[in-house]
Amino acid sequence: MRIVIGEGSCGIAAGASKVHERLSLALKDTDINIGIAGCIGMCFLEPIIDIYDGKLLLKRLVRVSPDSAEEIAEALKNNDLSALDKLEISESDSVFLKKQTRIALRRCGLIDPESIDAYTSDGGYTALKKVLTEMSPEDVIEEIKISGLAGRGGAGFPTWFKWNAARRSQGEEKYLICNADEGDPGAFMDRAVIESDPHTLIEGMLIGAYAIGAQNAYVYVRAEYPLAIVRLQKAINEATEKGYLGKNILGTDFSCFLKIKAGAGAFVCGEETALIESLEGKRGMPRLKPPFPAEKGYENKPSNINNVETFANVSWIIENGGKAFSAMGTENSKGTKVFALTGKIKRGGLVEIPMGLTLREVIYDIGGGIRDDKEFKAVQLGGPSGGCIPKELLDTVIDYKALSATGAIMGSGGMVVMDEGTCMVNMARFFLDFTTKESCGKCVHCRIGTKRMFEILTRITEGNGKDGDIELLEELCDGIRSGALCGLGQTAPNPVLTTIKYFRNEYEAHINEKRCPAGECAALRTYVIDKDKCKGCTLCAKKCPVNAISGTVKEAHIIDTDKCIKCGQCKDVCRFGAVEVR
Amino acid sequence: MSDTVKLIIDGKEITASSEDTILLAAEKNGIEIPNLCYLKEMSPYGACGMCVVEAEGSPKLLRACSAKVAEGMVINTMGERALKARKIALELIMGDHKGDCIGPCKLNCPAHTDCQKYVKEISDGDYEGAVRTIKDVIPLPASIGRVCPHPCETACRRQFVEEPISIAYLKAFAADEILKSGKHIIPEKKASTGKTVAIIGGGPAGLSAAVKLAENGHSVSVYDKMPKMGGMLRYGIPEYRLPKKVLDAEIAEIEMLGVKMVNNITIGKDITLSEIREKYDAVLIANGAWKSSSIRCPGEDLEGVFGGIDFLRAVALGESPAIGKKTAIVGGGNTAMDACRTAVRLGAEEVSIIYRRTRDEMPAEDIEIEEAMEEGVNFRFLTNPAEIIGKDGKVCAVKLQVMKLGEPDEKGRRSPVPVEGEFITLELDSIIIAAGQKNDPAGFEDIATTKWGTISADEITYATSLLGVFAAGDTTNSGASIAIKAIAEANEAAKFIDAYLEGIEIPYKKAVISEIDPTEDMFTEYEKYPRIRMPQRAPEDRRNDFTEINLGLTPEEAKAEAKRCLSCGCHDYGHCKLIKYADSYCTDCKRLKGEYHEGFKETRLEVIARDQHKCILCGLCVRTCEEIAKKGILGLVGRGFDTVIRPEFRNTDIASICASCKKCAQVCPTGALRIL
Repeated sequence: MRIVIGEGSCGIAAGASKVHERLSLALKDTDINIGIAGCIGMCFLEPIIDIYDGKLLLKRLVRVSPDSAEEIAEALKNNDLSALDKLEISESDSVFLKKQTRIALRRCGLIDPESIDAYTSDGGYTALKKVLTEMSPEDVIEEIKISGLAGRGGAGFPTWFKWNAARRSQGEEKYLICNADEGDPGAFMDRAVIESDPHTLIEGMLIGAYAIGAQNAYVYVRAEYPLAIVRLQKAINEATEKGYLGKNILGTDFSCFLKIKAGAGAFVCGEETALIESLEGKRGMPRLKPPFPAEKGYENKPSNINNVETFANVSWIIENGGKAFSAMGTENSKGTKVFALTGKIKRGGLVEIPMGLTLREVIYDIGGGIRDDKEFKAVQLGGPSGGCIPKELLDTVIDYKALSATGAIMGSGGMVVMDEGTCMVNMARFFLDFTTKESCGKCVHCRIGTKRMFEILTRITEGNGKDGDIELLEELCDGIRSGALCGLGQTAPNPVLTTIKYFRNEYEAHINEKRCPAGECAALRTYVIDKDKCKGCTLCAKKCPVNAISGTVKEAHIIDTDKCIKCGQCKDVCRFGAVEVR
Repeated sequence: MSDTVKLIIDGKEITASSEDTILLAAEKNGIEIPNLCYLKEMSPYGACGMCVVEAEGSPKLLRACSAKVAEGMVINTMGERALKARKIALELIMGDHKGDCIGPCKLNCPAHTDCQKYVKEISDGDYEGAVRTIKDVIPLPASIGRVCPHPCETACRRQFVEEPISIAYLKAFAADEILKSGKHIIPEKKASTGKTVAIIGGGPAGLSAAVKLAENGHSVSVYDKMPKMGGMLRYGIPEYRLPKKVLDAEIAEIEMLGVKMVNNITIGKDITLSEIREKYDAVLIANGAWKSSSIRCPGEDLEGVFGGIDFLRAVALGESPAIGKKTAIVGGGNTAMDACRTAVRLGAEEVSIIYRRTRDEMPAEDIEIEEAMEEGVNFRFLTNPAEIIGKDGKVCAVKLQVMKLGEPDEKGRRSPVPVEGEFITLELDSIIIAAGQKNDPAGFEDIATTKWGTISADEITYATSLLGVFAAGDTTNSGASIAIKAIAEANEAAKFIDAYLEGIEIPYKKAVISEIDPTEDMFTEYEKYPRIRMPQRAPEDRRNDFTEINLGLTPEEAKAEAKRCLSCGCHDYGHCKLIKYADSYCTDCKRLKGEYHEGFKETRLEVIARDQHKCILCGLCVRTCEEIAKKGILGLVGRGFDTVIRPEFRNTDIASICASCKKCAQVCPTGALRIL
């Protein structure tokens, strides 16, 4: 028997390391092996422990606390797993994984990310072998073309086309770059892949490098992903030792060196030309396109940039054939897509599904619906570059074309679910705050335009919106979309445009009635005490930091709305539900 | 190796190298595509978004600075979408561009005298240059410098440091220096046009228009009913404020320009307006407002009641109005101050000002009020004449209603209301009513008037209801105001008279400019340096005669005062690409205003001053320093909206690395960089 603890960043954050420590202690005199794995994607159940007999999963324990370590150890020693039934994942939570189709994430959370042997014994690097010994670069590109794989970073550009352009570009020296500068708020697909299965990324990159004829490859990963960097570096070292990386890979003529470049955390460096600038040691600012990187990229040499998830699909495609990949999905979107399901959702985590599922299936069948059984309001796809999709469009299929038609985008996979308590104006404001801060400052539209939009949204949420603000926002959106230099600026208006499109009434309520329908905007909130419910316990008056509540003991209290700073503490402390927000 | 391609730009078929960008190909064919971050010598940057053009068949706008030409392309550089995109780009830039294109002194001067320029010339000791600058607008600088209530100083930004620059006195100083030198500054005259213009009224307005029209080669005659030219400057401003020999000298220079001066001619009496119209190709009426207004108070017809301007005029003509020992002046304006101080000088022992509000509401200038007080004038605030009491048909007293201030009106001025039943009686020998003045319509009955009886003149062209007859100054529209306003109107009117005579149309469009909204915290970097005080004769001395009370500034004082100028107006105005585009794309600079980016001023490069408030982040200086000067001293710092340009990294030896090539300042499209 062996146990495997999920120790991705999310597992560790939930206490997996402590569980590991306590279990090591409790099991130190046994022959029960404790291994680690990356992230299985069920963030809501971390820490997770899998108990195996060889390759057979016997039991999956969830939400394990360090204090259960001894109990688990005892059960393992006694070989009585039924004692752990209460820790076992429930039938309903198991649905989360069962409904998925995992290709990019196929090994995540299942193998030890820090062991190349674990990877190779699971069939790793066979695709590379096949490519180097049996296929020409053109064959590889053809196979990718058959697969229909499109860039998973957000734009959805056909991967084969970019590879082909880089392959055909003049020049001996070429570069392959992996974009792991995952920056959308709420997105963590790339981190999970690198932390949980770094060799899959390396293998995909090597196949790509072979296809385009690159001798050097970089992984541009944000420095805020320390564990990913450590594990990727370890994987690079091991792969180099074993001959999968470096000079004359697997004894062939093909050589490729792989380096990690840690980015300093600028969102715009996820934009490919800004990423290249940063890689060159310059300030991360987008370049004008054309020329495209395939022609003049890193150091003005032909370069190809793909996202982590894109590369993670490559070895599977080579192993199983492009047709197997294109058999999944819809007419214009093939294969699977990983989403980071977050927000007001019951079961949040990483979800990989075949293209063509509906949003409803993902949110309700996999995600289990809205937390606390509240009403679903909207889902934000594509982070700050994306848009929101309202309840009426929940049956939209996940497919590049269908999502774009709603005004949102597929994006890199951020899927933030919002419930009735989310103010859509404030949500748009949140994303504009993000883009304003993350704009590189180069072009006028993005630098100043997003700031102005943020200011207008702020004044609307603060109850100072003016007649004409919606139209002004629309005008700015239009100007910024067509005038900004790069994708960051061009897509920055999307959250505003889609919220105006689907929730114009909320904007109008803020502006005309000075009312936030969702009750989220503090400035527009009024706290009142229901005098029938108030028992006069004085607790709220004592808690109020600005002495805005008055009243005598055992009599109904009153909030002075002029003094009230809307902190909500009265509501929190009231035991009778007498404080209402209007 | 490059091929040639054929394409169409703005309907013009052109041939270009396939390597050319659209912008370059257009430029080679004389088509200008606007740009702010582009320089031929460097690779395109794409920041400003100004060069966007429409390409037939392309849903997106193309950045002409980087998009290459292609065979068969059809480009429209002035399409509606491109213009809209440029407009919004400019509005965004202007909304975050903080600077004064034009100094507030110049803007606030009704005649737009270039104060900043002549103040600088004075600080450099170039008095002649200064007078030329002033005379470009004001033909009587020594006179106006003495009497102008200086709206320029009201707007002066130096008041946010401590006090405004003494602009008016600097003007008088420079003009005095030149008058003393004996040098005459007379503008160049264009060749004669053979056209004739009659100007009715030889005051500041009439004389200013005369100069402008004479300069343009027209033959100009000025008619005036008084024995000498100068109008209110001569007959309304007392000698102790404006010595008439100064005025004489300045008028003499106007005569030297060839302006014909005809005095003692009253229209409608000595000659009719129709006769003048027949004789001349154009007429300008600038006869001022010479009638004292009544206060509609019983007893106004008594002997010993004088109108304010009538009284001043009589004194100017050398008469001695019989005001007796005790006199009072009704009113709170500058005429009231002139009258009371003149009365003091005529030997009245008790001189009182009767004003129905308090000192705070007095329209007269503070300095005038102070000087009057120093000279012993009593101020009876919150009183208003109820009745002028006479004895034997002659004034002997005035009954004053005591007033109090009521609620503020819509302009915020608190209007006086009578305190029921409270009166004061003041014994008097005479009373002077200085409560406003109006024009005299006699002789101008053919011209349409306003409801106030002033001549109705178009506010832009100054044309009246009669063809070829224009009008400006106190006699028109809203009536009497300050001299510099009359001059401003006369200069403008001269422009349109000129156009009328030449038969040309002149387009009228207000230029788009950038202005700051000043607050005190913007000026904390300046050391406080108090405003110069005009040296004056002591009150007990000066109250006895009409000799000028101000002693004039010394050159040292004047230069020191001029050096206080903050030079608010942008050095680059006139060359600034940004404002040129803002103006031509009709941008509303303020529409997309919001928070400003973090600005600062710095001079670490020693030869280049950076005003980061004006920077539009086109990156030209950064790239020029790196790609052309090969120094790489400048860099973009910070992110997003707060991005700024600074000399980067090395702190201590940055000036020594800078090659002082000044290329960065040369390429700056705004006034953010200035060569020191």
